[in-house]
Amino acid sequence: MGRMSRRGAAGLLVGLLASTAALSGCGSESADGSVTLRFVWWGNEDRAKVTRAAVEEFQKRNPDIKVETEYSGYDAYFQKLSTQVAGGAGPDLLQLDRGTIGEYAGRNVLADLGEYVGKTLKVDKIPANLLEGGKVDGKQHAVAAGATTQMLIFDPTHFEAVGAKVPTAPGEKWTWTEFADAMTKVGAAGQVSGTTDFGWAIDWFEVWLHQRDKSLYTPDGKLGFSAEELTEYWEMIGKMRPGKGVSPAEVTTKMDGSVQNSGMVTKQAASEIGYDSGVTGYFSAYGPSLKVAPLPSDAAESGMAAMPPVSFAVGQRSKHKDAAVKLLDFLVNDPEAGKLLGASRGVPPNEEVRAQVCSSAEGGSKAVCDYEVAQKDKIGPAFGAWPTGSSAIKRDFQRTYDDVIFNRVSVADAAKRVIQDAEKSLGS
Amino acid sequence: MTQSLVKRPEVVEPPPAPATRGRRRGQGVAYLFLSPWIIGATLLTIGPMVASLYLSFTDYDLFEAPSWIGVENYVTMFTADERFWHATWTTTKYVLISVPLKLGLALAVAMLLNRQRSGVGLYRSAFYAPSLLGASVSVALAWRAMFSTDGTVDRLLSSVGLDLGGWVDQPQYALYTLVALAAWQFGAPMVIFLAGLKQVPRELYEAAAIDGAGPARRFLSVTLPMLSPVILFNLVLETIHAFQAFTGAFVVSSGRGGPSDATLLYPLYLYQRGFTDFRMGYASAMAWVLLVVVAVLTALVFRSARRWVFYAGEDR
Repeated sequence: MGRMSRRGAAGLLVGLLASTAALSGCGSESADGSVTLRFVWWGNEDRAKVTRAAVEEFQKRNPDIKVETEYSGYDAYFQKLSTQVAGGAGPDLLQLDRGTIGEYAGRNVLADLGEYVGKTLKVDKIPANLLEGGKVDGKQHAVAAGATTQMLIFDPTHFEAVGAKVPTAPGEKWTWTEFADAMTKVGAAGQVSGTTDFGWAIDWFEVWLHQRDKSLYTPDGKLGFSAEELTEYWEMIGKMRPGKGVSPAEVTTKMDGSVQNSGMVTKQAASEIGYDSGVTGYFSAYGPSLKVAPLPSDAAESGMAAMPPVSFAVGQRSKHKDAAVKLLDFLVNDPEAGKLLGASRGVPPNEEVRAQVCSSAEGGSKAVCDYEVAQKDKIGPAFGAWPTGSSAIKRDFQRTYDDVIFNRVSVADAAKRVIQDAEKSLGS
Repeated sequence: MTQSLVKRPEVVEPPPAPATRGRRRGQGVAYLFLSPWIIGATLLTIGPMVASLYLSFTDYDLFEAPSWIGVENYVTMFTADERFWHATWTTTKYVLISVPLKLGLALAVAMLLNRQRSGVGLYRSAFYAPSLLGASVSVALAWRAMFSTDGTVDRLLSSVGLDLGGWVDQPQYALYTLVALAAWQFGAPMVIFLAGLKQVPRELYEAAAIDGAGPARRFLSVTLPMLSPVILFNLVLETIHAFQAFTGAFVVSSGRGGPSDATLLYPLYLYQRGFTDFRMGYASAMAWVLLVVVAVLTALVFRSARRWVFYAGEDR
């Protein structure tokens, strides 16, 4: 590099800049007109296996569409997703849940699927209340990837050993008192806690509220409960803690809603409250001897509802919305996809596919189908979508509960704090 | 006084170097070679810093355009955010405990390794290795497993009758898991201390010994003063590092800062505000507050250095 004029140096600089700029704008359409989609979800190993199989099938039928898949645990998933979307590198097809549909749609991250519904995206076989869960301000921003309902999964051996009865047959139910007795009996046997402390997740509090004709959020997006109600609920759970009816604080603090970290899979509790979309995960992580029971209720209302456990949405900035919608439609409506996916995201949302899948299901998927049939009359319509700010509320709820179980704050004060924090989050 | 017979040599000024084209061209080449760094610094450091200063005065949710709200983020932070103060206090505790511990360990091990023994090179590498693993996620994961209930540490302590349970699952101990993780990575300051120790003249020790100074006296009167510039360097560096600690807390608490906010270090809370609450404006404001605080503290440490740092060649 002998003599270099100033102009030459400047030219080189410009060249360098231009080349770095060129690197940052990468297209995903190759020369032969084929399209590459990015499809991401959270979940465990077994959900990943079946989802990949379904994606393989889709690619076989659509040779011009390549699908890159990524999955991770719940927390990690949302950490990555928000960063990628903010950086303009969001996925084409993504998985969301109730709390996050509102968060993301409210911030214009999700495509409005309205123009595809009834054309390339069929929804006529999907129950209206499931579809409702994917609507924000009346626009379809997401489509339920399945149907699920709340449940208690338990290992019968622990309960049989202490003679505690858990209702599983159609029409059987139990009260909160009976539930607490059964759990405390198992805990007293000294092997494991009766159930994983469920006070940390706002989802189960929501069921308890519905049993009393209340709700977490009002239809206009305000808080629907009072500090007194939350105090009563947390105190009810607190009574079960000393006798090991529920798991001790140092186990509970680790809960994040994932199957692999659950108190039950780590063999610290004999049962766990969850959504039945997680059952297949429990079967593969814990063992095939598990059974599923309804949540207790003191009222005629079970408080349980048919919910979309997770939904699929298309990125607003996706360059290949048509292809992404095609994949979405395949995942929720195609019988072959339904067979492959089984009940890994709850039972299939499309009712025809559901009937087909359930007729030949086995293992975890069969347990889900049986449970859904047994509880058919008890499952109410879906709860409304959660408003923007609900992610923070869910997190603050758990954080405050940590303080409760470690006895750092009284239940009444904690409940007041939850209300205060939640009002701040809703107001922002 | 008569004039000296010795003729002073005349001072000959070197002729001024003509401003040649060659020199200017040399500058051009220098800039050319510097350009990768200049481009990198501008695009990856200075640009983003300016952007984040702007964002700190806005309400920005990551996805939509930021809207200007003036100093509101700063006001909220100082007046209405309990978690901000909690995170500040947690980080302060972490810095106050982990930095002296880490430096103490580093110095102690450096003294050990300063002896002329066979195989000392091997030990040096062995003690330095943990720092190479640095703030990596894998180490933090191993840490979490070791310090959880029924983990290695829990069992070891139980076997000697200390039934503390898992540290990471209990609010009163969780932070010490992170302190231990930081202290364990003492390799970098250790290597610097070792270099400093090599610089201390042996004669000083010999002289002190002749004057009847025992090992403790020699350490206090010779080693520490001679090392003080190195101590200052390590202290400043490690303090800045400790304020920025994030990875360990993030991994050990799965990003939540639990149990019950015991590991909510300031950078972790900043991250939560930005990426889980979608309040990037607020997070940027927090980042600038941290920058100012660390800068002020560093300045204070440098001011205090006049009192205790001894540079060779100075009179005391």
